[in-house]
Amino acid sequence: MDKGQGIKVVVSMIGLDGHSTGGEVVSKILRDAGMEVVYLGTYQTPEMIVEAAIQEGVDVIGISSHASNYSQIEELMDLLRKKDLNDILVICGGTIPKQQIPRLKEKGVAEVFTPHSTSESIVNYIVSEVRSANGAGRR
Amino acid sequence: MKRETDYGHPIKAVYTPKDIEGFDYERDLGDPGSYPYTRGYHPNGYISRMWTQRMTAGLGSSVETNRALKKYWDMGQRGGLCVINDRVFASPIDPDHPLGRKEAGVLGWCGSSLLEFEELMDGIPLTGQSITLLGSCAPSSLRLAYIVALVEKRGVNLSEVHGSVTESPFENYYGQTDAQPLDLNLKLWLDSSEYIIRNKIRMRSAIISQHFQESGGNNAQAIAIELAGLKELCGLLVNERGLDFDDVAKLPYELVTVGTRFFEEIAKVRALRRMWAKLAKEHFKAKKDKSCHLLIAVHTSGRTTTYQQPLNNIVRTSIQTLAGAIGGCTALDNACLDNAHAEPSPLAARMSLNTQHIVADETGVTDVVDPLAGSYFVEYLTNRVEEEAYKIWNKIEDMGGIIKALKNGYVPEMLRESAMEKHREMNDKDRLIVGVNELAIPPEEDFEIPIQEVKAQDSEKIARRMEEWKKKRDMGLIEKSLSQLYEDAKKEDRYNLMPSIIEAVKAYATAGEIIGVIREARGLSYDPFKMIDCPFKLE
Repeated sequence: MDKGQGIKVVVSMIGLDGHSTGGEVVSKILRDAGMEVVYLGTYQTPEMIVEAAIQEGVDVIGISSHASNYSQIEELMDLLRKKDLNDILVICGGTIPKQQIPRLKEKGVAEVFTPHSTSESIVNYIVSEVRSANGAGRR
Repeated sequence: MKRETDYGHPIKAVYTPKDIEGFDYERDLGDPGSYPYTRGYHPNGYISRMWTQRMTAGLGSSVETNRALKKYWDMGQRGGLCVINDRVFASPIDPDHPLGRKEAGVLGWCGSSLLEFEELMDGIPLTGQSITLLGSCAPSSLRLAYIVALVEKRGVNLSEVHGSVTESPFENYYGQTDAQPLDLNLKLWLDSSEYIIRNKIRMRSAIISQHFQESGGNNAQAIAIELAGLKELCGLLVNERGLDFDDVAKLPYELVTVGTRFFEEIAKVRALRRMWAKLAKEHFKAKKDKSCHLLIAVHTSGRTTTYQQPLNNIVRTSIQTLAGAIGGCTALDNACLDNAHAEPSPLAARMSLNTQHIVADETGVTDVVDPLAGSYFVEYLTNRVEEEAYKIWNKIEDMGGIIKALKNGYVPEMLRESAMEKHREMNDKDRLIVGVNELAIPPEEDFEIPIQEVKAQDSEKIARRMEEWKKKRDMGLIEKSLSQLYEDAKKEDRYNLMPSIIEAVKAYATAGEIIGVIREARGLSYDPFKMIDCPFKLE
C-alpha cells in the first residue's frame, strides 16, 4: 500500500478545539498509504500551521475540525495566499455543515471530507490531485 | 458483517442456561437496592425517582444560553440542567485573550467570570434541581467557586444545592482537553474535591468514561479506565488528603456513553455497578451501603450519529435512550439529530427531549427495575464485558495505576488502536451504518435540517464585552484577592486553594486571571499560550 509514496502532509486541528480522534485516524490512514505525515495535534494557530507547512515542505495541509466556527480556517487560507503558497493543497474534514462547504471552497479549500469518509476516498483524492499538479507539490 | 461485541467477543445465535452455568442470583445480582447492586440501587427504581431528563446547553453569550435553558424547561427538561463550557473557558483563558476572542461562545458556554454565571442563572433556581456544569478539568475549581459565590449572594442554603461542577484531570488524554499540565489539574481537582467533602457540599465530580469512549474506546476498555480512574482518585483523597472513604464515595459520578448495540450497552451499565460495588467493599473497605453505589448518568453516543441522512439519528438516539433507561441511570442527556453538523438547533433539542419523554411515559420501561435480569444473553454479556474489563484494568494496575498507564502511553495507544479499528470496521463494511456504508443517497436528495450557526462576530461581541467590563471592576479588591491567591499557591501542594479561589471569584477576577496567577506561583507562564503577560503586581 504505497500509492502515496513521496507525498508529504501536515495534519492538524486548529484553534482551541480538542477533538483529535479524526486527525489521528486520518494520519494513520495516510501513513499506511505511504505518505509522510507531520501530525501537529491540538492548539495550533493558523500561523503555526503555515510555518510548519513551510518548514516541512509539504504538498498538503489537512485540517480536522469539530468546532462550529470556521473563521480560523478562513484565516489560514488568507495567510497562505498572502505568503504566495497557493500550490499547497488544503483539505478539511470533520463536522462541517453543508452550507459551510461552499464558503470554505470559495476561500480556496480544495475539498471537505464529511464524517465517515472512507480511507480510499481521502487517499485517492490526495494522490490524484498532487500527482496531477506536475511536481509543483514539493518545495 | 461482524457478529461480535464491540470489544471483539463472538456472539452466538442462541443463549441457554448453559451460558450462565453457576449463576447465583444473590451473589451475582442481588435485588435492586442490594449488594452487589447489579440490578440497581433503588428497590423501586424510577417509581421512586425518575431519571433527570436534560439537554446539554451552551452556545453564544451567557444571556443566550440562559434563554436556551428556559426554552428547555418549556420542552420538558426536568430534574436538572446541564451546561457545557466553551473551549475558551475550558482552557481556561478569557474571551478577550487573542485566541479567546475567536472562539468565545463556540461549542459551549463562555463562563469565564462570576458575572457570566450570574447571567447564565438569571431567573433560574439553584435549588430544586441538579446543577451540572461540564467541560474539561482546569476550570473545575472556578465552577465550584461560582456555585459557592452565587449561593451566598442569593441567600440560599448551600446544603440544598446539588449537582456536579468538577471534572477529573484525566480528560486531557481523552479528547476533552484544557491547556493545563496534569500536575496542576490534579492538585486543583484534589483541592476542589477535598473542599466539597469537608464542607459536605452535595456536588459530585465527573470521573467519567464518556469522552474516552466517544474518542473510540470500546465497552471493556471504557469500564476499565473508569474503574482505574475512580480507584486512583478516591485513593488519593483517602491517602493524601486524609479523608474517610465513606465520605469520598459521595463524590464521584460516571457519565457513560450508550451506543446502538442495545443489549451490550445495558450489560455495560450493569457490569459497572457490580464492579464499583466490589471495589468499594473489597478494596476500600466501605462501611456504608451507599458507598457501594456509583451514580451513573447516561449520554447517548454522539459518535454514532451520522452526517448523512441526519433524521436517522432520531432513531439511533431513541434506541440508545431506551437502552440507557433499561440499563438504569439517574440522569440522561441524549445527543441530537444534528450532532454531526453543529450545536443542537431548537428542533433537534426538542426532538431529543421528546425522545426521553416518550420512553419515560409511553413504553412502560419505568414501571419495572432491570427488566432484562435473568435473560441468558444479557447475564452472559454482563459477565463477559466484566471479565474483559478486569483483564484490561488489571494490566493498568500492574503498571501502577491509571496515571502511570496514561503517562507511559499504554492507555493513549489502546485508545488510538480502538479508534482506528472502529474506522476500519466502517471502511471495510464489517459494521454497517445505514446511509453511510450502505443505502447511501446523493447529498442533494438528503433532508435539509436547520443548522444552529455561530458566527465569528458573535465571539468578538463576547470578547469586547469582557474587555469593557474588566475596566469597570473594583481593581483594588481584585489585586488584594489575587495577591492572597498567589501567596497561597506558592505554598505546598497540600495547601487547599479553594478558599482563596472563592474570594477571587467573588471579587470578579476572571478565569484567565485566577488560573494565570496560580500558574505564575508555580513557575509557569501566566498565559498557557504565552501571548499575554500577567497584568498584576503580585509580590
